[in-house]
Amino acid sequence: MQEKIAIQIDHISKTYKGSTQAALDDISLEIPSRARFGLLGPNGAGKTTSINILCGLLNYNKGSISIKGMKLEKKYKKIRRMIGLVPQDIALYDTLTARENLRFIGEMYGLKGKELKNRIEEYLEMVGLAHTGHKQIRNYSGGMKKRINLVAGILHQPEILILDEPTAGVDVQSRNMILQFLHEMNEKGTTIIYTSHYLEEAEGLCSSIAIIDYGKVIIQGETKEIIGSKKEYTNLESVFLHLTGRKLRD
Amino acid sequence: MRKLGTSIIKEIIILIRDKAGLAIIFIMPMILIFVMALIQDSTFRKMDETSLSVLFIDEDCDSVGLAIAQGLVRSEMIVLEKTYKGKILDRETLIRLVTEGKFQIGIIVPPDATEKLKIKAEYLIDKAFEDEEFPVAESKINPSTIILYFDPVIKQSFRETMRISLGKLTYGIESKMVFDLFSQKVSELLELESKLLYDPSGILRLEERSAGNKHTEIIPNSVQHNVPAWAVFAMFFILIPLTGNIIKERQSGSMLRIRLMPGSYWITILAKILVYLLISMIQFTLMLMVGIFILPLFGLPLLDLGKHFFALFVMVVATGLAATGYGLALGAIANTHEQAASFGSVSVIILAALGGIWVPVFAMPEMMQKFSLVSPLNWGLEGFYAIFLRGSGLIDILPWAGLLTAFCMISMAVAFYFLRLKKN
Repeated sequence: MQEKIAIQIDHISKTYKGSTQAALDDISLEIPSRARFGLLGPNGAGKTTSINILCGLLNYNKGSISIKGMKLEKKYKKIRRMIGLVPQDIALYDTLTARENLRFIGEMYGLKGKELKNRIEEYLEMVGLAHTGHKQIRNYSGGMKKRINLVAGILHQPEILILDEPTAGVDVQSRNMILQFLHEMNEKGTTIIYTSHYLEEAEGLCSSIAIIDYGKVIIQGETKEIIGSKKEYTNLESVFLHLTGRKLRD
Repeated sequence: MRKLGTSIIKEIIILIRDKAGLAIIFIMPMILIFVMALIQDSTFRKMDETSLSVLFIDEDCDSVGLAIAQGLVRSEMIVLEKTYKGKILDRETLIRLVTEGKFQIGIIVPPDATEKLKIKAEYLIDKAFEDEEFPVAESKINPSTIILYFDPVIKQSFRETMRISLGKLTYGIESKMVFDLFSQKVSELLELESKLLYDPSGILRLEERSAGNKHTEIIPNSVQHNVPAWAVFAMFFILIPLTGNIIKERQSGSMLRIRLMPGSYWITILAKILVYLLISMIQFTLMLMVGIFILPLFGLPLLDLGKHFFALFVMVVATGLAATGYGLALGAIANTHEQAASFGSVSVIILAALGGIWVPVFAMPEMMQKFSLVSPLNWGLEGFYAIFLRGSGLIDILPWAGLLTAFCMISMAVAFYFLRLKKN
């Protein structure tokens, strides 16, 4: 049976060792299945901490998380297989070729043989890197690296895909390709959780959003509903600035 | 198993493409063994196997000067130089040349050394056969002094050896002269036609024997000492590429991706341990090959591996595990490659010094000898010496292999603790 809720976060708190300030302070979120969900916030708001907790990379102090109806702390091995992460930095071996990187990642996810080979070629083709798949990652441009980083996160065909600023620092063509690719994946049933500082891009992609600041959720809901909720809200950026202020963040 | 195989292949490909890392892993240790074995060869050889140019001024020009010169040349440890740039040496030039370090030793036999020795010897004989009615007058001859000039850089042990050799020569000359006069005197007193025969070879002799396993045929030499010592040292330097690999993986985000894959994290760590253990074994094999095939081409003795190959294998694995474990722990603790590389290399040098790689443990001060017991490089060295020099087998090396393996386990426990700590 298809779960209606992909991710249910209940009252999660996280304080890093040696820190007195909570990185996440009693956060609760509900992300529906097949959603394109934007997790937005200024620098240091707690976006990456939230993502790392969702992926099981980081422990949390309080609260509970359910993914597709399963408790994260109990079924984290199964849950990890359901999640794909596209981290902000390029998480690949730069002296391996694109194909070698993908083969390693695929085999570590238990894929093998023709299935793995075909999938690698299919995705390389989709992101326009089939002809450069034999090159080492260190020889790739920034945009190519971002595209192959994306493929590395979706190779095992996760049900939930988490992307941490996947378009930061890439050219318009690569950005366009990545966003189109995410739309297609979502249409095929993948739940997408997306963080970005490009709010125009988030507005175009995300069906629902949550804005967090200082470790707390300050607003969440349907993107269009939020923008239309007040007269002074003309777009997502105006909502963001209104709620988080114009003060510079570290 | 499939994941482990995949991780091992990934590690090998990364290593192969890291040319600088490969040089550190394979070429540098071979160069190290080659250079150190050649340099240290002379210190392991007997004194009479090395030759040294020594400045020599014979102002005596008689029996003593001649006997010292002949004695030194006969020993083959010394080439006597009586001239410099075509000119006969004088005292001033000799002192200057040694002071400037152009020559390490200068010897001056003073004038009248033979004459003074003869007078002294005659006095001793006359005193021995003294008639109470005609007492022999006290000798007022001052002793003759042979002067040795040493370059300050010459080691104390070498000076001692030179002094002993020269003392032995002068003592022999004195003894012969006294004996000859004594023999002449006895012949005169007893009216004998022939003199007593002087035999300098002596009755008491020295014979050198190795105290190793009685079944061993291994001959201790510079290569048997140097190859295992520097091989252990080089094996521990595997921590430089290993820590680099771990830190780079962490910094590049690749480790993050590995942690996302179910059950892959510890498999990746295990793959690293296995690959670097294999590398350390290949390293050791290459270094042995230098001892067997390369060093003999340069006049050094051939490395004898002995008969206990399984014991050797166990020691190589144990040392490789200890080096890999240490590298893993440092890679987990350090935040940057610079931290790991500088602390790692300095710590290995300190552990090597403590472990007796440079100065034998028995030659260290008592306090340092106690410290040497805590150095894993000392355990490795003792284990390999047991095989290479004492002809020991598996049972004898087990304590050393056990210590190294325990060190590896502790290092890995530290590594896992810090890797988990950094996760949170």
